[in-house]
Amino acid sequence: MLTWTIWVSFIGAGVIMLMKPEKKDLIRWIALVVASVGLLIGLFCFFTYDLGGSNYQFGNGDGVAWIPQFGIHFKVGVDGISLPLVLLTGIIAFTGVLYSWNIEERLNEFFGFFFVLIGGVYGVFQARDLFLLFVFYEIAIVPKYFIIAIWGSTRKEYGAMKLVLYSFAGSALVFIGALALYYTADLPGGKTFDLDALASANFPVSFQLWALPLVFVGFAVLAGMWPFHTWAPTGHVAAPTAASMLLAGVVMKLGAYGCLRVAIMLFPSGMTANVTLPLWFPAGMSGLVIHHFWSSVFAIIATINIVYGAMVALVQRDFKFVIGYSSVSHMGFVLLGLATLDLTGLKGSVMQMFSHGVVAGLLFAVVGRMVYERTHTRELSELGGLIKAMPFVGGVFIIGAFASMGLPGFSGFFAELLVLIGTWRAFPWLLLPIGIGIIITVAYTLRTIHKAFFGDRRNDMTKWDHLAPVTIQEKVASLMLVAILVIVGLYPPILLNMVDKSSDQFIKHHVKPSISGNLARQ
Amino acid sequence: MPTLSDYLVLSAILFSIGLAGALTRRNTIIILVGLEMMLNAANINLVAFWHFLPPSPTGQMFALFAIAIAGAEAATGLALVIAVYRHYRSVNAEDISNLKG
Amino acid sequence: MNSSNILHVLNLLTPEIVLCGLAFGVLLLDIIFFRSDSVEHRHEQLGCSVIIGLVMVFFIYALQYMDWQNTFVVGHGAFVASRLNTLFKMAVVGLALITVVIGFKTPYSTHVGEYYGLMLFSVLGMVFLISSEDLLMIFIALELISLTLYVLTAFQKGARRSVEGGLKYFIFGGFSAAFLLFGLSYIYGATGHTSLREIAGALQGDQLAKVPMKMLGIGILFTLVGLGFKIAAAPFHLWAPDAYEGAPTPVAAMIATGSKIASFVALTKLLLIGLPAAAGSALSWPTRWHSGWAGTVAIIAVLSMTIGNFAAIMQTNVKRLLAYSSVAHAGYILVAIVAIQASGVPAPSAAPAIYFYIIIYALTNIGAFGVVNAIGSKAGGDDFEHFTGMARRSPYLSLLMLIFMLSLAGIPPLAGFFGKFYLFAAAVQADPKNLGLLWLVAYAIAMSAVSLYYYLKLTKQMYVLPAKDPRRVTSNPAMNTSLGLIGLMVLLMGVFPNKVVERFENLNANPYPIWEAAVPPPPQPEIPVPAPAEKPAVPAPAAPAPKS
Repeated sequence: MLTWTIWVSFIGAGVIMLMKPEKKDLIRWIALVVASVGLLIGLFCFFTYDLGGSNYQFGNGDGVAWIPQFGIHFKVGVDGISLPLVLLTGIIAFTGVLYSWNIEERLNEFFGFFFVLIGGVYGVFQARDLFLLFVFYEIAIVPKYFIIAIWGSTRKEYGAMKLVLYSFAGSALVFIGALALYYTADLPGGKTFDLDALASANFPVSFQLWALPLVFVGFAVLAGMWPFHTWAPTGHVAAPTAASMLLAGVVMKLGAYGCLRVAIMLFPSGMTANVTLPLWFPAGMSGLVIHHFWSSVFAIIATINIVYGAMVALVQRDFKFVIGYSSVSHMGFVLLGLATLDLTGLKGSVMQMFSHGVVAGLLFAVVGRMVYERTHTRELSELGGLIKAMPFVGGVFIIGAFASMGLPGFSGFFAELLVLIGTWRAFPWLLLPIGIGIIITVAYTLRTIHKAFFGDRRNDMTKWDHLAPVTIQEKVASLMLVAILVIVGLYPPILLNMVDKSSDQFIKHHVKPSISGNLARQ
Repeated sequence: MPTLSDYLVLSAILFSIGLAGALTRRNTIIILVGLEMMLNAANINLVAFWHFLPPSPTGQMFALFAIAIAGAEAATGLALVIAVYRHYRSVNAEDISNLKG
Repeated sequence: MNSSNILHVLNLLTPEIVLCGLAFGVLLLDIIFFRSDSVEHRHEQLGCSVIIGLVMVFFIYALQYMDWQNTFVVGHGAFVASRLNTLFKMAVVGLALITVVIGFKTPYSTHVGEYYGLMLFSVLGMVFLISSEDLLMIFIALELISLTLYVLTAFQKGARRSVEGGLKYFIFGGFSAAFLLFGLSYIYGATGHTSLREIAGALQGDQLAKVPMKMLGIGILFTLVGLGFKIAAAPFHLWAPDAYEGAPTPVAAMIATGSKIASFVALTKLLLIGLPAAAGSALSWPTRWHSGWAGTVAIIAVLSMTIGNFAAIMQTNVKRLLAYSSVAHAGYILVAIVAIQASGVPAPSAAPAIYFYIIIYALTNIGAFGVVNAIGSKAGGDDFEHFTGMARRSPYLSLLMLIFMLSLAGIPPLAGFFGKFYLFAAAVQADPKNLGLLWLVAYAIAMSAVSLYYYLKLTKQMYVLPAKDPRRVTSNPAMNTSLGLIGLMVLLMGVFPNKVVERFENLNANPYPIWEAAVPPPPQPEIPVPAPAEKPAVPAPAAPAPKS
C-alpha cells in the first residue's frame, strides 16, 4: 500500500505534465491532491506501524522478480528508520505545493518535475533492493536540474548544474561500489542485489576497507559532507522555494539514508576495522595503527561539517546562504550520529534527519517565499525591522530558528542530544569542537533573527509598509510545520518508539556482529 | 626464386610509401593515389600468401575482389574530388575546411 | 547445418535478394517511369515503394526468425543464417525504415532514385556484414556500406559542407579500408584461412606453435585500426564529426546507427569467434596484462571515452555533439569487448551485453537524429541556438529529445541506464574473483558522469532558455508517430529489460548448434568459441539467480 506513494507521484507527474499550462488553478489543485494522497498514506502507515511486529512493514515480502538475470527484485518495505523519512517526504511535498501556489510560469512542467523528484525520493526510502534503490536515487537527480535552472534565482544555471554533477559523480562512486560488491558477495542463494541478503554476505575486511569509503562518500556527497558540500549552499540559494525545501529537507537525507542503508549496513567491518598507515616511519617500525579507521575519519569530517558550516553561516550576508550553510552544519550531526555506530547515536541521527527536514523546510519557506518574494532582497543589511511588517512570518521564523538551535521543547533538541550522547561514548574527544560548533550555531541564529526581523532601521521603517499580506496557503503550511516541530519536541516517543525499535534491530543484526573493539559500549 | 618474405617486404614498403604519401601530401588526388598504393600492397600480400600456402583458391579470390573494390573506391573518390572542386575551386586539402569544431 | 544445395541457399537468402531487387527496382522505376515528374512527386512515389519494400523485407526476416531453430552456414561461413543474426538484420532494416521516414520529402537533391537506391544498397551491405563470418565477405560488405555512405554523405551537392563532409569521410574511410585489407591479409597469411571458425581452429592448442605470432599480431592490430575507423573509436574518429555535420540528417542517422550496429557485430564476431586465442588479457595492469588484442582494445576504449566525452563538451552543433557522444559510446561498448575473453574463457554476459547496448544505442540515436531533422529543417540549422527555447515551441519533440539525451547519459528508468549497467556488469563479471577489469569499468562510469554535463547543456537550450522566435515547430504525423514509438521503446526497454536480456542470452548461449565444415578441413581440434560444453567451466554468475 505504501508503494502507492511512489506510483501516485509518478502518475501525477505524468498527468500534470500533459495538461495545458493555462489551466493554472486546476493544476495547483491536482498537485495538492497528489501531494496530500502521499501525505495521507504516509500518515496512515505511520500511525498503524506495529511496534511489536516485524521490522519491515507495508512491503511486498520477498519482492517480485524484476530482472531475474541479475537477481534484481522489486522489493520494498519500510522500517522505523525509513518510515519517518517517508512521512517527512509527504510533509515537505504537501507544504511545498502550498508554498508554490504563486508560481505562474510553466506551471505544468514545474509540478511535473516536482513530482518525478518526489516519486524518486519515496522510492529510495522504500527500496530494499540495492539496484532498485539506485534507480530511484538517480531518478531523483535530473528533475532538480530543471526545477532550479528554470524557476530559480541567483546564478540558477550554475547552481543547478553544479548540484546535478555533484550528485551524479557521487552516484557514479556508488555505482562502481555496487558492481564490485555484487560480484564479491558470495551467497548461497546466488548473485543478488537484495540488501538483506547482501548484508549477510560477510565481505572480506580488505574489500570492505576500500568499498566502504567509495559507497559512503558517494552517498554522503548528497548529504553535504565536507569537502563535497559546496553544491549545497549554491543549489539551495538558486532553487525556488519548494525546491530548496525539498533539497534541504529531503534530498540531503537521501544521501544520509544511503550511507546508513547501504554503506554501513553492508560494510560494518569496514567502519570498525583498524588500519595501519605506513607513514613516514623509519624501516623496522610498524606504521601508525588507527583504530576504527573509517568510523573515526567520518566522525572527524562530520565534526568539521558542524563547525565549518556554522562558522561560514555566521559571516554570510545573504539570508538564504545562512540557511544553506546551517543545513550543511546540521547534516554534520546526522553524519556524526551514523559514524558513532552507537545505538543512541543512530537514533539521534534518524531523529535529526526528520527534525532538520522539517526545520529546513520551514526556514527556506520563510526566507525564499515569504520574505524574498515580498521584499525582493535577501541581503541581511537591507532587511531589518520585518517583525513589524510581517509579525506572522517573524514569529514562524523565530520558532523555526529556535528549533534549529536545538532548544528544549523542539524536535531538534532530542535529536542533537542523542547524537551527543552517542558521540560521548564513541569519540569523547570530539565533544569539545562540537560544543564550539553549537555555540556558533546559537550565535549565527540570533544574529540572523536580529538582523532580519529586528535590526536598527528606525529611519527607514516605512520601507516595509506595503508588503503583500501573507496568503492563506502560506499560513496553513507554516502552521503545519510549526505544529510538527512542537509535537515531536514535546512528545518525542511518537517518533522515537519506532526509530528506537528499528535502530536496535539495525545495530543488533548488522553492526554488533562485526564490532571488534569497544567502539560501541552498549 | 624469391621467397615469401621478399614479397612481404615489398608489400610493406609499398604500404609505407602509400601511407607516407597519403599523410604528407595536401593534394587530394595524390592522397587518393597513396590510398590505392596501400590497397595494392595488401593485394600483393594476398597473392603471395596464396602462392606459398597450401593450395586453396581463397587468397586469389580475395585479391580479385579487393582489386574490384579498389576500383570502385577510386571512382567514388574522384567523383567526390570533382564535387568538392566545384565548390572550392581547389583540390587542396587545406582549402577544404569549412567544418570545424 | 551446412547448406550446399543451391535452392536451399537461395531460400535462405530470400530477404537479401528482395532487398537487392528493391534497390535496383527503385533506380529503374525512377529512370523509366518518373523521369518527367516533379521532384516532390518522385519523392512520394519512390519513398512509399521503398517503405513498403522494407516492411516486406522486415516481415520476411521476422518469419525466418520465428521459423528457424538451426543455424545455416553457407560456404565456410561466408553467409551464416542464425536467429541472432536475423535479429540484428531486423534491427538494421527497421532503422533504415525509420531513416526513410525521417528523411521523407526532404529534397536534398533531384536524384531521388539514386538517394533511395544507395540507401538500400547500404542496408544490403549491413545485412551481409552481419551475416558473414569470413574475412573476405566482411571486407566486401564493409566496403559496400562505406562506398554508398560516402556518396550519400555528399549527396546534397549544392551544399558545401555536405560535399566536404563526404570527401573527409571518404579519405578517412580509405585509410581504414587499406589498413583493414592489409590486416586481414596478414591474418589470412598467418593462419591460412579466411573463415573465422577455421582461423580459430588454426590458433587452437598445438596448432598455435606453427602460427607466426608477430605477423598475426600486426594483422590484428591493423584490422583493429581499420574497424576502429568504422566504429568511430578514438583516435580514429576524426571523420565522424565532419561527416555527421555535413551529411543530410537522415544519412547521418544511418551512419550513426545501422552502420554502427553492423560494424560492431562484425568486430565482436571477428574477435569472439575468430581470434579468442589471441585475446591476451587486460586485467589489473601490470601484473596480469598479457599481450593480445584485449590490451589494445582497452587502450582504444579509454581513449574513446576520454576524447569523446571531453570533446563533446565543447561542441555547439547538435550533430557534432552526437558525433562525439557516439565516440564515447563506442568506448563504453569496447569495455565489454575487452571483457569477452578477459580471463581465458568467454565471459557469458559480455556478448549479449554488447548486442543489447548497440541496439539501445542505435534506437536512441535514430530518435535523436529524427528530432534533430524535424527541428533543424524548420528552425534553419542544427546549432544549439536553433534549439533554444524549443520546449515552448514544440513540447512534444522536446520531450522526446529529453528522453533520448537522458537515455544516452544513462539515467534510469530509460534504456540507456540498463544498457550501461549490463555492459559494465558484464565487464566486471569477466574476472569476478579479483575484479580485474574494475579499473576500466570505474573509468567508464566516471566518464559517463562527465557526459551528463553536455547532454544537459543541450536540454538546457531547449528547456531553460527562452525562445527567441515564438513560432511553433511541428512535424508531420508519420514522423511524430515513429519518433513517439521509439521514445516509448526506449522507456519500456529500460523499465522491463528482462525479456530482451533473456532473448539475447539465449541466442548467444548457443549460436551454432550444428557446425560441419563443407570440405573436411585439416585435422582440426574442437572449436573453442562459446561451445555449450565449456559453459560449466565458467563460474556462471550470469545464470539467472534463483529467487531468494
